Amino acid sequence: MRRRPPGRQLLTSVILIAALAVFLFPVAWMFLTSFKSNPEFFAYPPVFIPKSFALTNYVNAMRFPPDGRGGIQGVRDSLIIAVGSMVASVLVGVPAAYSFARFRTGGENLSFWVLSTRMFPPVASALPLFLVFKVLHLLDTHWALILANTIFNLPFVIWLLKGFFEDLPVELEEAAVIDGTTIFGAFRRIALPLVGPGLVVTALFSFIFTWNEFMFALLFTRRDVRTLTIIVPSLVGGHEILWGQVAAVGVVAIIPNVLLALLLQRFLVRGLTLGAVKG
Amino acid sequence: MQAPRELHVIKWDFPPKFGNVTVNVVGDAGHNLAPYEFWKDHFPKAGITIKIIEVPFEGVYEKEKTEFVAGSGAFDVVTFYPAYVGDFASNGYLEPLDEYMKKQPDSVWNPRQEDVLPPFRELYNKWAGKTYALTIDGDAHLLIYRKDLFTNAAEKAAFKAKYGKELMPPETWEDWLQIGAFFTRKKGEKLAGQTLERDFYGSAEFAKRGFSFAWFVDRWAASGDLYFDENMKPQINSPAAVKALQNFVDSLKNAPPDVRGYGYDELRDALLKGSVAMVVQWTDVPKKGANPAESQVVGKLDYGRVPGWRIGGKVVHRAMMPVGRVVAVASSSKNKLAAYWVAKHIAYDMSLEDVSTAFTGLDVNRGVHFSHPEAYVDFKSKAEAAAYLDRVKEALGDGYPEIFIPGAAQYEDALDLHVNKALAGQETPKQALDAVAQEWNAITDRLGRQKQIDLWHQALMSYKVAGLIK
Amino acid sequence: METKVGRDVLAPQPARLVARGFRLTPVLMVLPAVVVLLAITVFPLVFTLRLTVMSWELTTGFPPQFVRLQNFARAFFQDPRFWNAMMNTGILAVVGVGLQTLIGMGLALELHQLGRLRTFVLSLLLIPVMIAPVIAGFQFRMIYNDQFGPLNYLLDRFTGGRFHGYAWLADPRVALGAVMFTDVWQWTPFMTLVVLAGLQAIPAELLEAAEVDGATGPQTLRRVMLPLLLPVIVIGVLVRFMDTFKLFDIVYQLTAGGPGNVTETIAYYTYLEGFKFFSLGYTSALAFIQLAVITVVAQVFLRYQKRVRAGMAT
Repeated sequence: MRRRPPGRQLLTSVILIAALAVFLFPVAWMFLTSFKSNPEFFAYPPVFIPKSFALTNYVNAMRFPPDGRGGIQGVRDSLIIAVGSMVASVLVGVPAAYSFARFRTGGENLSFWVLSTRMFPPVASALPLFLVFKVLHLLDTHWALILANTIFNLPFVIWLLKGFFEDLPVELEEAAVIDGTTIFGAFRRIALPLVGPGLVVTALFSFIFTWNEFMFALLFTRRDVRTLTIIVPSLVGGHEILWGQVAAVGVVAIIPNVLLALLLQRFLVRGLTLGAVKG
Repeated sequence: MQAPRELHVIKWDFPPKFGNVTVNVVGDAGHNLAPYEFWKDHFPKAGITIKIIEVPFEGVYEKEKTEFVAGSGAFDVVTFYPAYVGDFASNGYLEPLDEYMKKQPDSVWNPRQEDVLPPFRELYNKWAGKTYALTIDGDAHLLIYRKDLFTNAAEKAAFKAKYGKELMPPETWEDWLQIGAFFTRKKGEKLAGQTLERDFYGSAEFAKRGFSFAWFVDRWAASGDLYFDENMKPQINSPAAVKALQNFVDSLKNAPPDVRGYGYDELRDALLKGSVAMVVQWTDVPKKGANPAESQVVGKLDYGRVPGWRIGGKVVHRAMMPVGRVVAVASSSKNKLAAYWVAKHIAYDMSLEDVSTAFTGLDVNRGVHFSHPEAYVDFKSKAEAAAYLDRVKEALGDGYPEIFIPGAAQYEDALDLHVNKALAGQETPKQALDAVAQEWNAITDRLGRQKQIDLWHQALMSYKVAGLIK
Repeated sequence: METKVGRDVLAPQPARLVARGFRLTPVLMVLPAVVVLLAITVFPLVFTLRLTVMSWELTTGFPPQFVRLQNFARAFFQDPRFWNAMMNTGILAVVGVGLQTLIGMGLALELHQLGRLRTFVLSLLLIPVMIAPVIAGFQFRMIYNDQFGPLNYLLDRFTGGRFHGYAWLADPRVALGAVMFTDVWQWTPFMTLVVLAGLQAIPAELLEAAEVDGATGPQTLRRVMLPLLLPVIVIGVLVRFMDTFKLFDIVYQLTAGGPGNVTETIAYYTYLEGFKFFSLGYTSALAFIQLAVITVVAQVFLRYQKRVRAGMAT
């Protein structure tokens, strides 16, 4: 790699620091707000450092009613649904992606149809889905949201993995098949490990998308299932917004995502690259 | 929060014990559901288990309507905003309550509706002459202002010198503009003898998209117009209406520069943090105003009737009754009698305790709420509470409803959109209201004109009984 | 056997495996996905398709009535709000996604230069994507507050009191920009990740060869890196474009579509028609119009991507 003049390296540092400042300022604001209490939310000059770092807002947000707002249930339910949908989409989507990539199964039309299901505005499918789930007695259960989110995650997984499989050189699998391995074997033992890192990143994003979903969660749940995205608007009363608790829930909501990402940090960017397969 | 002290002012009795029945209550999440927690010991004594289903404040209509449409039977007691009463009642989602109210003995079943203030009882509890819902939260608008500024000698003198009349809380909307301009001052100028560290404004409004139309109706309703005439012809673009909207647009000049983004919180905070001299807002704001943790103007507030217009020599006042809450029994409920008792218990038996504290966000709506100022512990003295209650009672006498026939959401949204556009300067008041009239006609046609006319006639019956029309 | 690397081997059609004859396995591998998707989506699709030619106002309790193409006529010819929403969404899509791509690419290029710190910095940058849009909306509501928010306060301070900042959510001239900024803030890191991955896949030999040939930095960027990155960028842009059409949560929190309706997106308007007004026929028509628009755009993107891939194989 070309050696870079120190001036250029300084510029890189400046740019990245500026970027971090912009992207992380709202996150830091949320973190600090989670410790504030009235009247620090709207004060002039704005309160940057709260006067106390007590965990009151967290406790109030997490405990079950009537002591709190039930955030713990939100964490539990969001986790079940996000993991469920992620796993389901990956289990079912990855083989399909391989099939599309290597065999063009169903031609252009089938794979485009798969993508197009993701394009349909969720607002319009919400009511019919509600009726379907009602008939199947799935309302207010985790299954309803796992299935509904799969509508978005499955095509996403399929299309992203399709791209990664297509970028793999085909010779290795060809060689294996000629040697007598089944197609599924070639998929499982050769192609899959090579896209492993890319798969992990795709799974992470489908987790994130499901974790953040709001509209279906609002309509398909009542009491037994409450996701974090529903807990948050419930902190907005008609005549009161519990800003501190909203921020607290926001901070708690990021934690599983951040943990997951850190865990996968090794794969995160190496992940989407397939590197050179040197012979 | 601790439950308020039981006052035993309202006399009630337990029903004969139900056989371990579960009643599902749906309501908007937040402290307004606190009563179910305050009185949680009462329900088991009646053999009832309560299960609460919370819905976000903004999502009440879509959630409840979706469940009703699908006939899911998930709710027994429904809490909702009375603008939906026409929609829910006329579509058969709610159980008529008149028979339940007449059951004996009285102390168990009678919610004493005759004590509820007429605007709420006639306009928000009934439909087509039958009772379908009971009010638990009587929202209405009130004028709230900084009495320390209005009683300040220097300010009074300056006002008299400038306008040739006494400085008083505004009686008409023209006064509102004048006084608002008078009190709008820049940082560095003087106000009540003190130099301002920040800009100060004469008035503020709820100008955010979503509910700004209520502040327009405050200015229009005193003209005596109703939303439609007997043939469903919109009256919303009458000259009085245009004048009202023009006044609203003009009022923004005396308000903080970001007033177009002001919702409930921002408007309340503008007053309680000392940035404005007067607002028109809900009747619960004074309770918060008395709380030092939330208010920098404790003890400096006074209240009055929403301004009106001078018509035929007298000033006519009207106050919008936006939002509010009622409870009802779902017609698909499997435990209607138990559900009815739960609703009645919250709407009547324990209502005085529930409205007495700012914590629940529930507001006065019955005569008995006004005759016991000692219950309102947020205020420092019984006299202060009594003064507040007197003003609120006056204001509630001026009550004017939201549109509550089916289609309310569409009519109100069209109105709010164009009011908001006029406030943003994108349309003139006349253009805006003409557009509203046009859209209202389109909505009426889409929903079925004859049916809407019939529904509006039913609503007019309620208006008559409430005394809003002759 | 000389093994081809990543992008070097891009043929007009990505290579097939064992193309002769019909094999059962690939079909079986696709079957579960197709069945699941079909099962979940077929009823909503048919239900809504039928409703596009009907009028069904759930507020009145009338049964649905057949109205032929009236819903579409209303959207195209009688509903300025529809066009306004499409235009707002269009601006958010074109300008917003454009910014996300440009800034994302810039950041990816800089990150590419970092050594060991790269994954750490990238992980930090990804946090905005992990915040639920609903919650991000709340934070920005505080940040954008004119009187008490930190943004205007800092602007005031850093310009010595000369520029106070606008009423971001209340001024019709800047409100859409404020919404766009929140969206760009949240999703630029996603584009950064996509482009960075593409960058990692470019073989070092190509870059070294360019350097040896005497190409400057910007020239290398334009002639070597950009063409190789294009397929990856296209997929990223397509996903973001599709998702901009679903932009709802932020608008719901920040502005409710106001002032007036300068921030009303098509997703928000469709939501109003469907879940506040319960005009199911019109809502379905709106949904299908959106589906058509996105499908057309997706086709354009995908054909472009194929052409680029074909071009690179020569």
